[in-house]
Amino acid sequence: MRRVGITGFGVVSPIGTGRDAFWRALQEGQSGIDRITRFDCSTFDVQLAGEVKEPLDLPEEVARVAAEDPKVGFAYAACIEALAQAGIRRLGPGMILHLGVSLEIFHLEKAVCNGKPDFKTIAERSLSGKEGPLQIPLDTATALICGAFGRPDQALTNCSACAAGAQAIGHGFRNIRAGLCDVAICGGFDSMINPLGVGGFQLLGALTTDNARGSGACRPFDAARNGTVLGEGAAVFVLEPLERAVADGKQVLAEVCGYGSTLDAYSLSAPDPDGDGAARSMMAALDDAGISPDAIAHINAHGTGTRLNDEIEAAAIRRVFAGMWERIPVSATKSVTGHLIAAAGAVEVGACLLPLVRGLMPPNPSLEKVGQGCELAHVTGKAAPFDGEYVLTNSFGFGGQNATLVLRRTH
Amino acid sequence: MAAGNADVVVTGIGMVTSLGATASASGEAWRAGRIAQRRPLAELAGTSLEQIEVATLPEFDAAERLGGRRMIKYMSDAAVLGCVAAREACEDADLKQRFRPERVGLFAGTGLAAASVKEVLPMVRESIDENGRFSCQLFGKRGLAVTNPLLSFKILANMPPCIVSMIENIKGPNYIFTPWEGQTAAALFEAWRAVATGEVDCALAGAADNAAHAATVVYLKQAGFLSDGEYPSAGAAYLVMERAETARRDSRPIHAHITGMGLRPSDGPTFDPLASRMGRSYAAAPAILLALACQAPDEFSDHTGILSVKICGVDHQEFRAEVRGSE
Repeated sequence: MRRVGITGFGVVSPIGTGRDAFWRALQEGQSGIDRITRFDCSTFDVQLAGEVKEPLDLPEEVARVAAEDPKVGFAYAACIEALAQAGIRRLGPGMILHLGVSLEIFHLEKAVCNGKPDFKTIAERSLSGKEGPLQIPLDTATALICGAFGRPDQALTNCSACAAGAQAIGHGFRNIRAGLCDVAICGGFDSMINPLGVGGFQLLGALTTDNARGSGACRPFDAARNGTVLGEGAAVFVLEPLERAVADGKQVLAEVCGYGSTLDAYSLSAPDPDGDGAARSMMAALDDAGISPDAIAHINAHGTGTRLNDEIEAAAIRRVFAGMWERIPVSATKSVTGHLIAAAGAVEVGACLLPLVRGLMPPNPSLEKVGQGCELAHVTGKAAPFDGEYVLTNSFGFGGQNATLVLRRTH
Repeated sequence: MAAGNADVVVTGIGMVTSLGATASASGEAWRAGRIAQRRPLAELAGTSLEQIEVATLPEFDAAERLGGRRMIKYMSDAAVLGCVAAREACEDADLKQRFRPERVGLFAGTGLAAASVKEVLPMVRESIDENGRFSCQLFGKRGLAVTNPLLSFKILANMPPCIVSMIENIKGPNYIFTPWEGQTAAALFEAWRAVATGEVDCALAGAADNAAHAATVVYLKQAGFLSDGEYPSAGAAYLVMERAETARRDSRPIHAHITGMGLRPSDGPTFDPLASRMGRSYAAAPAILLALACQAPDEFSDHTGILSVKICGVDHQEFRAEVRGSE
């Protein structure tokens, strides 16, 4: 089986656009969480999010779609950066494009016509072209990328919620390793920072309403955690056979060497209290990588800042890494980015490249007092030096989908 | 078309289509040459799309088929169809009794999000200001108060298959793709490959879609995905795939062997062999097509004994599967 290397990485995130800005902010523990500016949230219980701040340089056609659906622009910009780093100009045979995303945007304002909700008039206006389309399908980003760069063998849109980005990378890794393709462009993109997105998650009680905490409101594993904060953005990677990339003189940022995927089959919104699905996902990834738990030198936790998730994930980590978890540093980067939903797994693979490329593990700056049941070797305060070989990252999705990736240092 | 040397077979089939509320009813109606009943959509009356009809689904009792109402309140229409089809397939293969949940994979396709107009309109109505415009302030103050707190579960694209995993206790590897035919085809391919390579002992693979939904019909027409004379449909199909040796060990009836499967990009026209008689069910169509083929491959196969089925969806991915009957 072939080894798989990451030769390109592009990112758009609440803490910076472009991999250098992203890594710098992560290293310094800079939070991208602030009051929502995308819409008037003054009457919402939830008023915080991690928004992408920088304007993106997009082609006209993409910018037009992104004006309606910002996440499409994030995906496109991250893809351009990743392809450029890998030196890939066109997509074609032998390649797979696979991006994760969670939910179509719903423009509630479009449902109002002449002062009332009037589906028929709205439909007519939409059909006549006076309004944009009623729906922007989730494959719009992959379609625009294929339109600009050419068509790969497969263009896939993965909708596995918070596990989608990690699944897309795992799928690309497996395909290259098995010799089914030579290049995988994979990752995730998302934005739920719109009235229905924020409102819907608010109704589910998943988001913190502790708005006074501002940039420190997302508090993975902290005793005072009381909900996550939505973020937005995208991360895209180019994966190639490692030996070939080295022979071609490409910089290999890291090796992808293990992938695990499981289902909780427990509840729509809550993780399995035993952490069984999470633990099996980690063990499957370790097994796939052909390493034992003691090889892992750093973990990037899913760490959402919700009461249940963090405690259950911590327990699952302690179970999988029994007898050794106290010496494995754990980062939880949602503390600064917020929860990017379908993009989270991909952006957090990007966060794992900070230790693997630059030798620094990102801190969890909002962790002040470890919550009961959340005991792990947390990286707090400032970035910590890393000189290990293997890193593991978790993504656990709404609906019970779990994905874990294992990465390895290549230099 | 290759995915290892293993003989992958189908031992469970479940379907809800415009031709029948079960796999056998759908299959019998298809083989008898029947055509779906159609109806106009009330939401489109008085619009330029009022002449468009959608396929009518046969009536069935979802609660009875699923053994209770417990999860139905969380489900979109597509999720209900998917869960009913998945239940039928799992029972057909006796999946729960025969496989460890951790060794069963779930590979699924889902269609466009389709929030019910009935659920969206009240929250919008509460959010209109004195100038007749949508107001975020009013939405936060009043609109959310009348919003179904379960709405997110009904519109998140991964929920229909995730509910299947909960109801059928499936805990293994998984992928969920969206929103068109080529994505479901990819899910079927991943299932076939996962069984063939031994990644899983068994895979539940399929899709559900509700294209017979007013907002979706508007989008399909606007995007040019619904040609004149075509009609949208809802539908779902799930198949249980496993290795032939496992099925024989357990003395399970084998519907069909899947001898090949492949996906490739296509620049040609879209092609859905089900469309004229069942309506277009988009994400569900490849799963329904494969399920129909696996039900009666001998009746349709050529002199080689292999039935080859093909579909090319609006995402221009051409899917082909080769199916052979059981000896």
